[in-house]
Amino acid sequence: MTKTYISHHPLEGRIPLDPGIRAVDHLEVPRRQAIVTVMAADGEETAVAAALTTMSEPSLRFVGPGEWLVVSQSETPDGLLRRSLSLVLADTAYVLDQSDGRIVLRLSGPNVRRILAKGVAIDLHPSVFAIGAASNLLCGHISVNLARTGENEFELIVTRSLAESLFDDLRLMGREFGLSVDFSG
Amino acid sequence: MASLIHCPHCGVRPSQEFSIRGDASVVRPAPDAADEAWHEYVHLRSNPRGRHREHWHHVAGCRRWLVVERDTFTHDVFSVTDGAAVAREGGR
Repeated sequence: MTKTYISHHPLEGRIPLDPGIRAVDHLEVPRRQAIVTVMAADGEETAVAAALTTMSEPSLRFVGPGEWLVVSQSETPDGLLRRSLSLVLADTAYVLDQSDGRIVLRLSGPNVRRILAKGVAIDLHPSVFAIGAASNLLCGHISVNLARTGENEFELIVTRSLAESLFDDLRLMGREFGLSVDFSG
Repeated sequence: MASLIHCPHCGVRPSQEFSIRGDASVVRPAPDAADEAWHEYVHLRSNPRGRHREHWHHVAGCRRWLVVERDTFTHDVFSVTDGAAVAREGGR
């Protein structure tokens, strides 16, 4: 049997089996999440953006001009999302599966902006960083893709190798608010 | 406080997110250009006190090369443009 990265979550040893009581501010770690990178071919940026925004379920994360991360809650990370996107975007974009290379961390709670402000240098007020907004930025010294998924909910996508460091940083940043952590899904 | 760079793709960001390559005004000479032209292109750089155009790479953000026009003395930033747009304007 081939053992893939997907079968072992890098935070498995970090999150206690008995996570305890869930606090108001919570760090949720989806165990299995399908993530793909979409890079538009030269000159096809607007066409790809239009095609991606018409899709309802998978959410779109801006990375840079002509480049996005697509995250799906419902599809499992076995390449299905990549295949379906490749069909839709056929000749206009390059689609690469990142499910085994990226980890999603979901922060939610009333103090989440104050927690993130300890590591993130951008303005997180809803008038500047609205729901649905996403961007690559530094959290401490770690490059992450930060997205606002709700009024008080943010998602961080980080490379697998830096997931443990970011997880430790977030726990430290949230300690004053009693941030709780647990796997989901 | 850190210098703030207004990235055309990502918005206002601290300079820590960027990597600076240097002078953006030098243009690569033709492959068969004289040795003096190549020597100048590879080794010689002015170190101006005042306005300067530089290549900045937004490593931790959109990963695009930007041309930043700034004052090396006061740290004022006058303009930030995507490198591809600048190259296209220059016919490169």
